[in-house]
Amino acid sequence: MTEEKKKPEQSGSEKKGLGRRDFLQGLATVPVLGAFALALSRDLSYERKRKAQAFSHARKRTGDVKEVKIALLGAGAQGQVLMDACLKLPGVRFTAVCDIWTEYNQRRAARMLDKFGHRVNAYEDYRELLAEEKGLDGVLIATPDFWHAEQTVACLEAGLNVYCEKEMSNTLEGARKMVEAARRTGKLLQIGHQRRSNPRYLHCYEKLIRETGLLGRITSARGQWNRAVQEDLGWPQRYEIPESVLHKYGFNSMHQFRNWRWYRGLGGGPIVDLGSHQIDIFSWFLGANPAAVIANGGTDYYAKTTHEWHDTVMAVYEYETRDGIVRAAYQTLTTNSSEGYFENFLGDQGTLHISESAGRGGVYREPQAPQWDEWVRQGYLLAPEKAGQATRADAVLDVRETIAPDRHDIPVIFNDPYHMPHLENFFDAIRGEADLTCPAETGYETAVAVLKVNASIEAGRRLVFDPREFHI
Amino acid sequence: MSETRFSSLQMTALVILRALIGWHFLYEGVAKLTRGNWSAAGFLLESKWIFAPVFKWMAQNESILRVVDAMNIWGLILIGLALILGCLTRTAASAGMLLLTLYYLSTPPLVGLYYAIPSEGHYLIVNKNLVEIGALFVIAVTRSGQFAGIDRILGRLTGRSRR
Ligand SMILES: NC(=O)c1ccc[n+]([C@@H]2O[C@H](COP(=O)([O-])OP(=O)(O)OC[C@H]3O[C@@H](n4cnc5c(N)ncnc54)[C@H](O)[C@@H]3O)[C@@H](O)[C@H]2O)c1
Repeated sequence: MTEEKKKPEQSGSEKKGLGRRDFLQGLATVPVLGAFALALSRDLSYERKRKAQAFSHARKRTGDVKEVKIALLGAGAQGQVLMDACLKLPGVRFTAVCDIWTEYNQRRAARMLDKFGHRVNAYEDYRELLAEEKGLDGVLIATPDFWHAEQTVACLEAGLNVYCEKEMSNTLEGARKMVEAARRTGKLLQIGHQRRSNPRYLHCYEKLIRETGLLGRITSARGQWNRAVQEDLGWPQRYEIPESVLHKYGFNSMHQFRNWRWYRGLGGGPIVDLGSHQIDIFSWFLGANPAAVIANGGTDYYAKTTHEWHDTVMAVYEYETRDGIVRAAYQTLTTNSSEGYFENFLGDQGTLHISESAGRGGVYREPQAPQWDEWVRQGYLLAPEKAGQATRADAVLDVRETIAPDRHDIPVIFNDPYHMPHLENFFDAIRGEADLTCPAETGYETAVAVLKVNASIEAGRRLVFDPREFHI
Repeated sequence: MSETRFSSLQMTALVILRALIGWHFLYEGVAKLTRGNWSAAGFLLESKWIFAPVFKWMAQNESILRVVDAMNIWGLILIGLALILGCLTRTAASAGMLLLTLYYLSTPPLVGLYYAIPSEGHYLIVNKNLVEIGALFVIAVTRSGQFAGIDRILGRLTGRSRR
């Protein structure tokens, strides 16, 4: 090498033939490949380990389960969703379906069930169903909110277990009657806040919030459901329901029948429709009911005649948790869909970002917080993503400007229909094998928290909750 | 014609530069391969400037895209290996320049062009692709493979090392 340095390169290499030096120098960079291979194998095994940590939510059982006989009340958009999820569960048999839109939704549901081998009787009036159908174990109620209380109470009193969609009721009075009926009859009443049974949410609550407390002191929470502009729901002319039938069931027009959510006395507007799911998560994860709320909102965009409830709502809750005050901001927009829907919990050591929307979510460590290696090792979190793998939304524009917090994935993959585990929990409870994850009392507490938003908007000021309001 | 000769130190520097670029190419290829579902489509659809229609057309045509993806992955891997090993160095460097030129032309950092895929720095006309093209130009016109690389062995065996 030393003599080589003195001589200009390539001189003296005129000779033909392969010398020892040629050979060695010809292969001089091969070790680089060796180093590359080593680095690559580490890289691949890191990724493999990361992926292997994520465990799929494997449903416990197939086949051999005790059959549960159920009826569906309200076969609209959500009724179909529940039906689809049930058809994927073992040991569930539909025997009846009830819907006042006999020519359309009712017929469609009955046909669908028939196709899957469930012979069902179809009814327009749920009271007829209750009188005729014997041997039912439970009903799923997915009618508009203002029907929930009456139907739930009647079903419970007929000795049936009830899965009732959220919002539990459009009035607290109705919700209270439901709780009382469940207590009186000793039957099960599950409220359809399905995130309560979602394995990803359960992992976040049980492992990340309760057990490890790795967010530190949670000081605030944030949630939203932003939805793009939507036209009012329509209906095929030839399937119009006769006016007398509409009136009998509390609707004054076909438009109102389809767009009941927006009408006072029928629904509660987007804050109740969408917000109830997420405000429910606030209370669940924070382990407390709210102490006060102040909200602002109005019908700013749509026609007030057809949108009696607010199309835009922003609310701030205060929670008094064991660790101190938590302020939680929540909004629903119906005119813009940016960032969709999610709930965030922000602590002094980390942030939890969670959404029912599959594939979203992550846990971020604050730069100054203690390392989370131990939780990664125990499988509570996935190892952080390598730099450069951040998704577009999370990417920082210039690495030199911001210390981006490590992003850890939540190690539970959930690919089933959203409502399936919640329904499964209900059926397992009927079989005596599980406790409800969202019993009537829980649904009631959430109803109290949510309905106060509309009251605060009405009152134009901050409203304080009396802790006794939450309990019956 | 005067021929400039390089000292060993200078040749070593070129070999190091070559190996670094080779490593970069190789990992870019391997990472796309191991990811399994990688496709150039996202990048191509971001294309702006006068060649954008061509790149977008590639992305939108299913069979063309498959070819583009495969050529990208294997092109990167082969060029990377060749550069690290100093094997057919000139061809590899030229091919690398071609590939990088396509990347550059697809999303050039010109005034007024903005891309949704964030970059980790700030560029005006010159970006890292262009710098790497320049570096490969150096590799292509010097003979680092003849100094340290398989080319040296090939040259000796075929007796074509000197001209
Ligand atoms: N958990 C969730 O994610 C979720 C999602 C959407 C809706 N929901 C809830 O599901 C319920 C239904 O919502 P939707 O979107 O399906 O509404 P929808 O208007 O599409 O369906 C309601 C159905 O109920 C029928 N119906 C109305 N009154 C009836 C009565 N008295 N008896 C029997 N059937 C009657 C209607 O004909 C219609 O088919 C609501 O309470 C809503 O809040 C829950």
